[in-house]
Amino acid sequence: MIEVTVNGTAHRLDADPDMPLLWALRDLLGLTGAKYGCGIAQCGACTVHVDGAAVRACQTRLGDLAGRQVTTIEGLHPEGRHPLQLAWVSEQVPQCGYCQSGQIMSAAALLSENKRPTDADIDAAMAGHICRCGAYQRIRAAIHHAAANS
Amino acid sequence: MDGMMERRGLLKAAAAALVVPLPALAQAPQPPRVITEAAAGSPNGGPGQVTAFLRIGADGRVTFASPVTEMGQGTHQSHAMIVADELDVPLPAVEVIAGQPEPALRLQPVNEMYSGASFGIRFWHDRIRRACAQARGVLVEAAAQRLNVPAVELTTAEGRVTHAASGRSLSYGELAEAAARLPLPDQPRVKPAAERRVTGRTAPRFDIPAKTNGSAVYGSDVRIPGMVYAVAKLSPVFGAELDGFDRASIAGLRGIVDVVPLKTGVAVVAENTWAAMEGAKRIAVRFKPTPEQSLNSEDVSRRLREGLASREMVRPRNDGDVLAAMANAARVVEATYEVPYLAHAPMETENATVHIQGDRVEVWSSTQHQDWCVRDAARVAGVPPQNVRVHTPMTGGGFGRRLHTEVVEQATTVAKQVGRPVKLIWTREDEFAQSYWRPAFAARLRAAVNAQGRVTGLHIRAAGQSVMADYRPALFANVLRGNDPFSLQSMSDSRRYNFGAFRAEWRRVEAAPKVWLWRSVGGSQICYFVESFLDEIAAATNKDPLELRRELLAADARALRVLNTAAERAGWGTPAPEGRHRGIAFVDLYDSLVAQVAEVSVRGNEVKVHKVTVAIDCGDVINPDSVEAQMQGSVVWALSSMAKEQITLKDGAAVERNFDTYPILRMGQAPVVETHIIRSGERMGGVGEPGVPPTAPAVCNAIFAATGRRLRSLPLTVHGLSV
Repeated sequence: MIEVTVNGTAHRLDADPDMPLLWALRDLLGLTGAKYGCGIAQCGACTVHVDGAAVRACQTRLGDLAGRQVTTIEGLHPEGRHPLQLAWVSEQVPQCGYCQSGQIMSAAALLSENKRPTDADIDAAMAGHICRCGAYQRIRAAIHHAAANS
Repeated sequence: MDGMMERRGLLKAAAAALVVPLPALAQAPQPPRVITEAAAGSPNGGPGQVTAFLRIGADGRVTFASPVTEMGQGTHQSHAMIVADELDVPLPAVEVIAGQPEPALRLQPVNEMYSGASFGIRFWHDRIRRACAQARGVLVEAAAQRLNVPAVELTTAEGRVTHAASGRSLSYGELAEAAARLPLPDQPRVKPAAERRVTGRTAPRFDIPAKTNGSAVYGSDVRIPGMVYAVAKLSPVFGAELDGFDRASIAGLRGIVDVVPLKTGVAVVAENTWAAMEGAKRIAVRFKPTPEQSLNSEDVSRRLREGLASREMVRPRNDGDVLAAMANAARVVEATYEVPYLAHAPMETENATVHIQGDRVEVWSSTQHQDWCVRDAARVAGVPPQNVRVHTPMTGGGFGRRLHTEVVEQATTVAKQVGRPVKLIWTREDEFAQSYWRPAFAARLRAAVNAQGRVTGLHIRAAGQSVMADYRPALFANVLRGNDPFSLQSMSDSRRYNFGAFRAEWRRVEAAPKVWLWRSVGGSQICYFVESFLDEIAAATNKDPLELRRELLAADARALRVLNTAAERAGWGTPAPEGRHRGIAFVDLYDSLVAQVAEVSVRGNEVKVHKVTVAIDCGDVINPDSVEAQMQGSVVWALSSMAKEQITLKDGAAVERNFDTYPILRMGQAPVVETHIIRSGERMGGVGEPGVPPTAPAVCNAIFAATGRRLRSLPLTVHGLSV
């Protein structure tokens, strides 16, 4: 049994400790906001927080999470009204939306450390993410928007 | 599953509600500029039984079953806006759901429910309006009877019918049941443009909040009770079939349920995705040899060059005497171009969930082609097509990729063998290896220029694989007789530029990799060839690239306006900021005209695309912000592909199998995109694809302006340039 705390709730999972967190979230816990995009930490679609830091869930072993706090997009804000989520709506960021959970989680980690990021700060923090729909201009605008409102 | 429940609830509730079928237009909408099976004589052109509808419930809620897939372009939002506008209901009262493949939602004349050719709005707008106008007509009639007043004294607004003279009004919800008993008017009054209040003005998309909190359900998120998870392991070599596999090679792996043979590989079935993935990674699979298992990119390139030299070509355009123009020219400009295979690489890999219960099959797939999902599932499960229901969840990118439905065939094969519902997904590695690609293509262009520096003839010879041959083989062989309209798309089908004499030819090249519709299809390479070459002509004749295009478009006021808008807004003719240079390009695709100006600087081998100014005339506009979003996305898509992307072949297989070797443009490299929408009121054009083609040539032309280097092949990385 592996004990893991996700979005504030403790779970005991009968799973292989080598299972990546991504698949435990999606298949065992039914939290499908984090997405599979590449499986090799190249696209960022699976990004979640572990103890507040943005990590790639596809590269995070379940067995390494004892005593750690995992936060997924579903737990970023109880009503889905984190300043970034509101900014994503007001800037009309998503197109297909598949990458956006991961984008928002990285942006949230950025804003928790840097309240007023510059364009260059944002580009650097978000460089691990691919948006195939090409919504980058709006993602950047939404991060500035959220920074200004928080 | 939610979709299924919604749908059943909807059908049940429909008994007490006004249900309006989507009417067939008296005149079928313009098909894509591709001749279709039915156009060539298929009998299956009629609307048939109608079960697709607009429903108005007793609570006043309006539900519209959309005939197209929401792939991120906001098409469902635009459909909601059209409904709200024509029906006179508040926009939030309208819900759009993904429809089922049924006669009224099938596109005629092919008689298929699918999404492509940027037609989600332009082909359906008039029909949705007409259905809503019919519904409004019977609601007014029902109110007239209830209030005992003439219908002409009634007005509609905000989901109510009002009799101003007596101050009485009734909600649509109150009228729905009575209205449902009235015959739909044959000639409803559709609102003229001047009366439209909702369309044409930006409205926030209803699908976006769920895409910010993890609640949006994509195909790969579908979960049904008792489901098992399957991961495919496919041949890396195109066309290689399964020879055998060694089940013992994964003995002892935890959670494995079964291994199911597929045509081109196996599916490892397990209790969770990770176990299936581990199994797929480790299982020993043998593939049969293929004639092309040693094919390399150099071989494809050689075939393209041989194709260009061929004496036998398909010639869809031959205006005037191009050979005489060349013979009489003061000067002939000539150049040869080439582009590689490209992958779609949507963020969500191929997947499908299939549940077989007796002789009924349910399919969940983020698909662009619902009818082919039904066809494939029915064939594999051995049930009649009418026993298959297909649900279309959210889609992690389409771009043409999801017009092919092989994954549904595979998932049904697995579900049949294991006797449980199954979700099958492809790994990113298989997605690259087996994703049908944008074909590699080459072209040789010649232009005749007279003593005054005017173009008097243009001749394009292109060579490459046929998309149509893989997409609709019977149509290609039997109807088009080997003439693929995608092969010279944006030139063979446009009469905007006046080159004097004009000849467009294509030689089909064959190779094992399958090729497919890739956002903007033939336009993606043909526009790059032609718009780059026009710049070469401008340079050879010492003309400004904008001036040359103005000459060639002189008789076309609409095209000139688009070209000039992009040029003026980008400051063409004024000094660019220090170190920056501009390039321009134009395209006519899917009834939209787009011009782009790229502003670029080059330092050493570093290319920086600072800004792309876009002008688009798509006729009429439903949601302006969606048009802007599509222009932003199109530029990024195109810049990514022209700068970095290529599939290379080694020993019959793709070398690039994930994003580490197939790089995609990231945020720091994305330019500012400034969009100017021209509302000409012309026939509505597409928006999802026409923004793609001009970016590559505009950027290359700007690089030429900056460096004098003419880039006749892509991506930029092959020239040692990085973006």
